[in-house]
Amino acid sequence: MSTAATAVSNSVQASPSNPDIIVETRSLGKIYRDFWGRKKVQALKSLDIEVRRGEIFGLLGPNGSGKSTTIKLMLGLLFPTSGRAFVFGKEATDVAKNERIGYLPEESYLYKFLNAEETLDFYGRLFDMPASVRRERAEHLINMVGLQKHRRRQLKEYSKGMTRRIGLAQALINEPEFLVLDEPTTGLDPIGTREMKDLIVRLREQGKTILLCSHQLADVQDVCDRVAILHQGDLKELGRVDSLLKVQDVTQIHAKGLDENTKNQIRELIAKANGEVVKMDNPTTTMEELFLDIVRDSENRPGRRSSNAN
Amino acid sequence: MRLTTDQFWSYKEWLFDNWGLLWGLGIALILAIVGFLIGFLVAMLKHGPSEGFLQVSKIIGELFTIDIPKMSFRRVFAIAKLSFKEAIRNKVLIVVLVFVIGIMFAGWFLDRNASNPAQLYIPTVLTATSYLMFLMALFLSTFSIPRDIANRVMYTIVTKPVRPTEIFLGRVLGFAGVGTLCLLVFGVMSYMFVVRGLKHSHEVAAVQADGMGGETKKEHNHTHTFTLDETGEGTTETVKGHRHIVRKVDGKLAVLDQVDDLTARNPIYGMLRFTGRDGEEGIGLNVGYMSEYHKYIEGDSLMSAIWRFEGIRPSSFSETLNFDFTLSAFRTYKGDIVTPVGVEVKFRSIDGKVESDRIQFKVKEFLIDQKSIPLKLKGVKDLQPADLDFFQDIAKDGSFEIVVRCLDRGQYLGMAAADCYLRAKESSFEWNFTKGIISIWLRMFIVICFGVMFSTFLSGPVAVIATISVIVLGMFGWFVDDLVSGKLAGGGPIEALVRLPLQSGSGTELDLGNEVIENVIRGVDKGILYSVAALKYSLPDLYSLETSEFIAHGVNLFEGLLARHLTIAFGYFLMTSMIAYFFLKTREMAG
Repeated sequence: MSTAATAVSNSVQASPSNPDIIVETRSLGKIYRDFWGRKKVQALKSLDIEVRRGEIFGLLGPNGSGKSTTIKLMLGLLFPTSGRAFVFGKEATDVAKNERIGYLPEESYLYKFLNAEETLDFYGRLFDMPASVRRERAEHLINMVGLQKHRRRQLKEYSKGMTRRIGLAQALINEPEFLVLDEPTTGLDPIGTREMKDLIVRLREQGKTILLCSHQLADVQDVCDRVAILHQGDLKELGRVDSLLKVQDVTQIHAKGLDENTKNQIRELIAKANGEVVKMDNPTTTMEELFLDIVRDSENRPGRRSSNAN
Repeated sequence: MRLTTDQFWSYKEWLFDNWGLLWGLGIALILAIVGFLIGFLVAMLKHGPSEGFLQVSKIIGELFTIDIPKMSFRRVFAIAKLSFKEAIRNKVLIVVLVFVIGIMFAGWFLDRNASNPAQLYIPTVLTATSYLMFLMALFLSTFSIPRDIANRVMYTIVTKPVRPTEIFLGRVLGFAGVGTLCLLVFGVMSYMFVVRGLKHSHEVAAVQADGMGGETKKEHNHTHTFTLDETGEGTTETVKGHRHIVRKVDGKLAVLDQVDDLTARNPIYGMLRFTGRDGEEGIGLNVGYMSEYHKYIEGDSLMSAIWRFEGIRPSSFSETLNFDFTLSAFRTYKGDIVTPVGVEVKFRSIDGKVESDRIQFKVKEFLIDQKSIPLKLKGVKDLQPADLDFFQDIAKDGSFEIVVRCLDRGQYLGMAAADCYLRAKESSFEWNFTKGIISIWLRMFIVICFGVMFSTFLSGPVAVIATISVIVLGMFGWFVDDLVSGKLAGGGPIEALVRLPLQSGSGTELDLGNEVIENVIRGVDKGILYSVAALKYSLPDLYSLETSEFIAHGVNLFEGLLARHLTIAFGYFLMTSMIAYFFLKTREMAG
């Protein structure tokens, strides 16, 4: 276990009833066994993390690193082989905690024979909501995820992106305090991805706590406050995104309108201060930004080639 | 139709007087202990003895402190509604179409010349409905939960505040709802099929010169002869299990709708005892038949059969006391199997001080012998001839006895408790038919409970096989009983397997020339048979829950019996829900 992880482990001496700690795991481990009880794989080794109220916490790691196992343990879908997991101060296997949780699985595992309205009504009933509240929530969420025109279509006719959006709507049906999003941007186009990221940030602004598990490093970087990086079931890194990504001994200056002469003067100044110019050129935008600009431009001027194209 | 004494116990008699409740509680206790021990063993292997004990105790504790009290009807309804929709959208109603098509052509395959068409038509449709419902219940109930787990929809269910009790109850109620819908359609179709196939009337073909009888025209492959009384009214002879009322309508003789087949007789049964040849309390004779069902009394002796009736209300009868006999005769006449045997019947009060005049008649075998006596009758009171009122003199507090003797020397009359009953006012056939359908519903419900229970810990196909085993053991459990008790010759499965290649007949003793091997085979067989028998006793006896014979034979299905079946079904619902709860609570839904 890394030093960061150890530090966290030491810090989590607070009782599980601490209201500012939404999730807490203590030496959480999981071994998958075969039918005969023989050890197949150790998916998670003694994990100690905490997710604090109001933050977006990212779980990162390659395939098989234990991200999904961690989430399933927190949700009570799996039982730990060792250690314990607490959510809202209660054991993760306690059904009562689910009242305050929203969960979007990595693929939207929903009943394909229901339509959007029926799906939300069904999940609303599972939260024991009265009919009027269910109707109001379903209406709001269908509008929010942009499925107004498809509300009466069975989910088996939905595209992957639409399925993802109705999946998100079902996760929000109970206005959860804590939201678990497993690969939330999978299957979404760049616009959908951006909307999803904006929504995640908006949800945090509303005071919700979000646990996000993703392969899309850019997504995690964009929205997460803190991340934990797992590899082969071990916690390898844990901390604030901004401090983890900060390169301490490199200074970055963004300036506009400089001529070559001025740039040379800057180079000389750096050399005088015994510094080294690692790189000085025009920045490129991200492919995401480029794509979004083109789409926005195309929507404003239909039928014309994008002004960004050279 | 053979009724056994236990079938006409009232609900209260079954529950309290005959240990029904105690048996139920006893079985529940045994299952609870066995369940706890198995759960503890599994938990002990995983977590060690003390932690294992804690785990199992916690699960049981949570059932009563959280999972039952905090159950939400809205959540149960949500899952039930979902199951209903799932079944309907998976086109389960095609089964209804198959049934409709089947019943449209069923008439082609039923024997039009059957001696009693009602006893052919009614069991056919009710049995077909039963098996179709079994099949539907089987496939509906066993696949849903495994499918939800396999395609991971269960992730989005169990991460909501849904309790295992709600998942089981919701699934069972949802599938029962689909079954109810289909059964309603099947029931209406079956009723129409039976009524359309059986209901008929005849036209008068010929009337005797004296106007006191005649014959009907042929209809539905039969004719009737009829007799009329002075008022010009009468009935036809019984043909194909029914008679017709014959009456003058608008000055012309008309043969009206039939009686006796599409009906629901209300038999009131009594308890049977015998007196021996010396006239003292005794037991009936066995004339050498294997079956112990009938006991016999000897003719022209002091032997008698005495039925004691209790709690008979005058309101059940109008002007006459109607009673039916289905006695059998055992003749010792050489080479003669048709000479009728005489019977003598009298009614007497419990204290024996009042009795009616004796009625004598010849036994009608293989038919229901319908008799009646007027409620104002002649008899003997305190050893003096007297005019009697049945309910004031003989059955003062609703209790009285019917004493039956055989008149012919050297001949024997056979009877069981169900062979003499009072016939109270008839109930409606429609209600009786509905009760038959309710009875099918109960068995379907039990199959659904077992199907859903198995699906909580087995994959779909394995759950299907397990549920089929329950149905087969439930329907043919008597076969296991006969094997265990040795009634069926040929031994158990291993012995049968050995006999096959040796071409050894089942009636002979197994002879392999080595006593040790024979004993080992018998020992292993015993182990297998006793295990299957033990399993059979913890599974529902679906065969005894079958009631189509009541409807077919025009006997009112006793409400007490139906209530008993309802209680049994509820008992199995509780048992399966406990087991399902345990598995849903302890199994990991992911991974």
